[in-house]
Amino acid sequence: MLRLVVAVSLGRLAGFLSRLIGRGGSAIPGLVAGKIDGGVIDKLVASIPGGVVIITGTNGKTTTTKMLVTALERSGKPVLTNPTGSNLERGVATVLISASRRGRIRGYEMAVFEIDEAAVSVLAPRLDPRLVVVTNLARDQLDRYGELDATAAHLGIAVDAAKRAVLNADDPAVAALDVGRTAWFGAVGEIRRTMPHDGVLYGTDGPDAPAVEVDGLLEAAEPEDDGQRITVAVADTRVEIALRVPGAYNGYNATAALLAAAELGVDPIAAAASLEQMSPAFGRGQVIIFKDRRIKLLLVKNPAGFNQALRLLVDAPHPAQVLIAINDNHADGRDVSWLWDVSFEDLQHTEHRIGTSGTRAADMALRLKYAGIESWSEPGLGEALAEVVTLSADGETIYVIPTYTAMLSLLDLLLPGTARSAAWT
Amino acid sequence: MTEIVIAHLYPRRMNIYGDTGNVIALSRRLEWRSIPFRVDLVEVGTEYDLLNADVVVAGGGEDTSQISVAHDLVARADNVHAAVDSGVAFLVVCGTYQLFGRRFVASDGSELQGIGVFDADTVGGDGRMIGNAVVATEFGRLVGFENHGGRTLLDIGQAPLGQVVRGNGNNDSTGEEGAVTNNCFGTYLHGSVLPKNPIFADELLRRGMERRHGGVSLQQLDDTAELAAAESAALRP
Repeated sequence: MLRLVVAVSLGRLAGFLSRLIGRGGSAIPGLVAGKIDGGVIDKLVASIPGGVVIITGTNGKTTTTKMLVTALERSGKPVLTNPTGSNLERGVATVLISASRRGRIRGYEMAVFEIDEAAVSVLAPRLDPRLVVVTNLARDQLDRYGELDATAAHLGIAVDAAKRAVLNADDPAVAALDVGRTAWFGAVGEIRRTMPHDGVLYGTDGPDAPAVEVDGLLEAAEPEDDGQRITVAVADTRVEIALRVPGAYNGYNATAALLAAAELGVDPIAAAASLEQMSPAFGRGQVIIFKDRRIKLLLVKNPAGFNQALRLLVDAPHPAQVLIAINDNHADGRDVSWLWDVSFEDLQHTEHRIGTSGTRAADMALRLKYAGIESWSEPGLGEALAEVVTLSADGETIYVIPTYTAMLSLLDLLLPGTARSAAWT
Repeated sequence: MTEIVIAHLYPRRMNIYGDTGNVIALSRRLEWRSIPFRVDLVEVGTEYDLLNADVVVAGGGEDTSQISVAHDLVARADNVHAAVDSGVAFLVVCGTYQLFGRRFVASDGSELQGIGVFDADTVGGDGRMIGNAVVATEFGRLVGFENHGGRTLLDIGQAPLGQVVRGNGNNDSTGEEGAVTNNCFGTYLHGSVLPKNPIFADELLRRGMERRHGGVSLQQLDDTAELAAAESAALRP
């Protein structure tokens, strides 16, 4: 016990010192404490009375986590959670240590952690999760993670480690993870068909999604203002929610969150009401007012997510300015080959005006050329943002579609003076 | 001119690294020249005579997909050899390139039989070779992205596609990238490789069209965007 206390205190001190010298301090306490006591995560987790929930999968982790945390907190449970940028082992250790005093987590009833697919097989057995939620499984940054089969194996270990799982019945790769302790979520056929899973997009040798009776069903999703009105049936209750996040995929995320909340004992009607209050997570349909324009940020990381962003553009009521910013730094994935798997051809019938930016602006422009779409190109993010503002009128919506590090840089421009950490919450 | 036929081999199983872009590139470059064409999709088990195609394209895939594709390729090996011998143009990338060699021996000793269009063997090794790559070839500099664990070793006498300027290429020792037999090109380059390397794309079209459509001269296109993308990719880590 003494060793754990020392480890945690040194970790906190390191975080404090690092913030003092201006390095952000995000993962440093976890790094220092991990070196002193390898079991620091396990021991702190055991002191959380309501246990740990893990949210993982390719797309939708951040939004689903935020939704579930919102629903739990409004029901009166203080929840410990991690910022989206800290979803690897060190980041989770850091969050746990920062919330601890004398070797115990204090002041929280439960923890809900978003965990990266690559880290979840290592972390899940140590977090002893009472529930794991898997949103979906699609190809994503193959230069970092290896192949899709390997990711499925990571997720399988997490599901095995959990007492209960909330799984996507419409995604065969996720449904195959079922070991009999599953609550299922899914959507009616009309919505499901607009969200082709990886197997449909690319073809697999695997079977189609099994026909299971789902416990949480997305029955309707109608676009409305910047968000949508969804109908979800969960635990024999039907709720209608005015969500402030757009896209059928966010309807799925909300359904997963409502089902997980029900599994954790939250009344669906109360949970639904809390989701109406929730603003979009950072970059996930978030709207920022900038020079009298409404900048709508849609983070993209992989073909499945990009196709969802394109669907919003195809459904947009008016022609708009669009800026696609593709970086190829480590956190984005160095390989941009995946842009050739995105169906930009769908934009041919829209009248949006598109610009490309980022370190791989030229690759993006080339992809658009081969999709039969004209675009302008400006690699510098600041210059491109200025250009897209110039091209638009006061009050107009501008769609900005960045990869991860491009989004971080754009945020510095869109919200100057705001610490990045503030934008995470 | 009669219709140009592009055969896309295993579009569902071997396409994990964006290699569909190669078919998009060939298609658009024919379309922009008003040359009629069609794309035939050839899956595992599809009955198809590759001698009826002018250009054949295949990509990389998951290990599990590669196994089912290997069996299918062996079953159509005679037809592939006949097509290569008669001058049909092939572009086979990564996982399919490996299967166009004699064999792939994985790190656990298990062996996947190839069809031996290239005099080459591939062995699994520790660590993947991942990153932007630049290769010097007779069609100029090729720029792409490699991501593979297999090391391919060419026999003496088997021509490579080119010499590695940056990256690894076939393996981490010989400095060679890809292989060429007649009009059949094997490479580890994704990216996709053809859109960013238009001279190579057109060479593939020209060679493929020559067999059935006579001496072909392809009209010059404006490749400014293509070369700009290659230029910026070559500078990235």
